[in-house]
Amino acid sequence: MDSAPQPSMAEALDRMWSRFLPQIEERLAVLDAAAAAAGNGLTPDQLSQAREAAHKLAGVLGTFGLASGTVLARQIEALYSPPNSPGLLLPSQLIGLSTQLRALVENRNQAGALPTSYTLKK
Amino acid sequence: MAHRILIIDDEEDIREVAALSLETVAGWEVMMASSGAQGLARAIDYQPEAILLDVMMPGMDGPTTFLELRKNPATAHIPVLLLTAKVQSSDQRRFADLGVNAVLFKPFDPLTLSTQIAGVLGWN
Repeated sequence: MDSAPQPSMAEALDRMWSRFLPQIEERLAVLDAAAAAAGNGLTPDQLSQAREAAHKLAGVLGTFGLASGTVLARQIEALYSPPNSPGLLLPSQLIGLSTQLRALVENRNQAGALPTSYTLKK
Repeated sequence: MAHRILIIDDEEDIREVAALSLETVAGWEVMMASSGAQGLARAIDYQPEAILLDVMMPGMDGPTTFLELRKNPATAHIPVLLLTAKVQSSDQRRFADLGVNAVLFKPFDPLTLSTQIAGVLGWN
């Protein structure tokens, strides 16, 4: 993509980001909780919720311009997915990835971001 | 020409951004549904020119919804594009084998989503 997004589209995306931020934060909270609990072993429900939260974040963050957020969320989703064993998850790795993901989201809140095509291909 | 598209996705954020994109960038008419069952009903009533269908939905998932759309004479002819965040090649092969018109990936680019769809469907 050679040009910046149309202002009206960028503004509309920013408004949607604000509107859906609570939902994104809920998903981040699920990941934080799973990472914190991983040391004691996750229940099948916790594991499934964490995998689903990561999957949904992977799908949506890049759409709002956070391509690196999609990459991180995919890494987290893979860690919570077979063939990885729930008993062998490393809490420090999960906490590290969740913390990085949260920081990316918070940065977008502060600075705004451009849609994916611009941030990925420019 | 204002094409008519039905978006079926349980995630409101994805649904709304896709609708914004198709309406704003391409000027298309968009109808939305938040589940496979609602999508089937809307497809019959609205008769869209194409359906953008999420894969992972609670209840009736995307592949099941697609098969139901194909079974019904009122919707069997409507092109369907699956939308998925799954990136493993085994998943991609499985979705392509269903017989959908295309598999598109999340995250999508709101600025080029309509171009992608138009390209697949020969609307250019």
